[in-house]
Amino acid sequence: MAERTTPIRVLIAKPGLDGHDRGAKVLARGLRDEGFEVIYTGLRRTVDSIVAAAIEEDVDVVGCSILSGAHATLLPKLVASLRASGASDVLVVAGGIIPEADRPELEQAGISGIFGPGTTIAEVATFLRANARRR
Amino acid sequence: MPVDAKHLAARRELAQGISAVERPGPAANQRIQVALATSAAEARNALVVGLTGAPGAGKSSLAAALADVARAAGRRVAILAIDPSSHESGGALLGDRVRIDEHPDDDGRFTRSIATRGSGRSLAHVAAAATILVEAAGFDLIFVETVGAGQVEIGIARLADVLLVVEGPEGGDEVQAMKAGILEVADIVAVNKSDRPGAQAAFDRLRSGLALGAGAPELALVSATAGAGISELLATIDELGAGRGVRGRIRRVEAHLVAAAESHVDAQVREATASGALTTRAEQIVAGTQPLTGSITALFGISESPDA
Ligand code: B12
Ligand SMILES: Nc1nc2c(ncn2[C@@H]2O[C@H](COP(=O)(O)OP(=O)(O)OP(=O)(O)O)[C@@H](O)[C@H]2O)c(=O)[nH]1
Ligand SMILES: [Mg+2]
Repeated sequence: MAERTTPIRVLIAKPGLDGHDRGAKVLARGLRDEGFEVIYTGLRRTVDSIVAAAIEEDVDVVGCSILSGAHATLLPKLVASLRASGASDVLVVAGGIIPEADRPELEQAGISGIFGPGTTIAEVATFLRANARRR
Repeated sequence: MPVDAKHLAARRELAQGISAVERPGPAANQRIQVALATSAAEARNALVVGLTGAPGAGKSSLAAALADVARAAGRRVAILAIDPSSHESGGALLGDRVRIDEHPDDDGRFTRSIATRGSGRSLAHVAAAATILVEAAGFDLIFVETVGAGQVEIGIARLADVLLVVEGPEGGDEVQAMKAGILEVADIVAVNKSDRPGAQAAFDRLRSGLALGAGAPELALVSATAGAGISELLATIDELGAGRGVRGRIRRVEAHLVAAAESHVDAQVREATASGALTTRAEQIVAGTQPLTGSITALFGISESPDA
């Protein structure tokens, strides 16, 4: 497919009651500086509102930041809702505090990449450029 | 309960349409034409309200508050929030949604963040085209938020049926500075954050400053977060927008044509700069080997007026 002529659009979301937003903000600014269009929706969003925002913004990537331990329930639900809404070509990635042991199950559920503490912006940017849909 | 896919299908189509017109070309024009035909056939005459003002004045919060009041009255409401792209990276941080509540199961709402991308003038080139699509999708009231910075306001003034300038309680000195520019094109100046000290004083300063001029904008004192004065402000907006009929859509097409021309010129300028053609031509003009006249045509493909 043709090279993309427009920036990759990424929604950075904080689902659930988790109040840790430092990582999400670091990532949002960092990805902007890497040439991404980053939509940040703020704290405490429901899965449904993240899905609706992803659809309305026509993003290429949804990135969830979760440090509360709620990833095992929230992330599969998010992927399922996105798919059910027709956004099956949207890449879903996650970061924050996600134990190694939980990762295979999340990957199985459709989370394409999981990034823990110490991840560099460059690593995330490279991954997204390689894996986001082309258009 | 998961949002149901059917619910989001219409919003998804509109969202993809906006992405499509963000890539200029024949396909984009085709979509805009279809949208215009739909609006004409269904006699859609959306009211487009521009919101501009300094960063942090409360534009997004105010758009959201106005949208809530309008939606409660059964109107279908959209918000287009425009933020600048970084000149260095080409990326953008679009954070207006933080202030705008999501309504996942309400098809009568639509919010979209738009980056200015290549538009040096910072009202996104695509803004007019996006409003044309949103209108065709059946939204009656469309808020377009843009960060106020000089030149931009002229763009938003061209696009909007009603232009609202949002001021914070600190407004005063800025008001003086703004007088020459934005207040000439503003239909309404809203002093926001009336729940905070200083807002009333800013409002009074503004009122005494504006009382002198003819054709002065309407004034409002509101609080987006406390919900004060919002219904009244919406009533003023409606009054000013009343009777626009098809004029609104004509105005949007005008704005789109200007944006398309600007976009074209911006692209030519970028290319001539990157390729070195601009510098080469300037060197030739300085050395006297090329005339100034004809240079704009040679560089950017714009025809010069005969007596230029
Ligand atoms: C700072 C901090 C806080 C601050 C948060 C400030 C803020 N506004 O963010 C405060 C003091 C408020 C706080 C409160 C609490 N915290 Co706290 N907090 C931390 C701490 C020390 C650092 C988090 C941080 O900011 N890191 C810096 C950022 C830049 O890193 P990051 O978020 O990990 O993000 C990086 C990567 O993970 C990745 N990434 C993150 N998100 C995403 C998303 C995507 C899409 C991608 C690609 C990558 C990515 O990229 C980032 C850059 O490398 C962690 C411990 C730790 N070392 O992680 C505990 C920690 C997260 N907190 C914890 C807890 C329990 C709490 C509290 C419940 C109570 C408490 N015990 O303090 C409250 C709850 C607050 C709430 N309302 O949710 C636990 C969570 C345990 C768990 N999940 O099982 C931790 C792990 C501490 C611990 N070991 O117990 N906390
Ligand atoms: N006290 C008070 N705070 C307000 C009011 N309206 C907005 N704010 C706050 O002002 C800050 C900026 O509000 P926004 O709505 O994001 O302002 P904006 O003009 O859209 O900002 P930019 O898009 O960044 O230019 C936020 O912290 C809001 O909560 C108000 O009526 N009263
Ligand atoms: Mg805003």
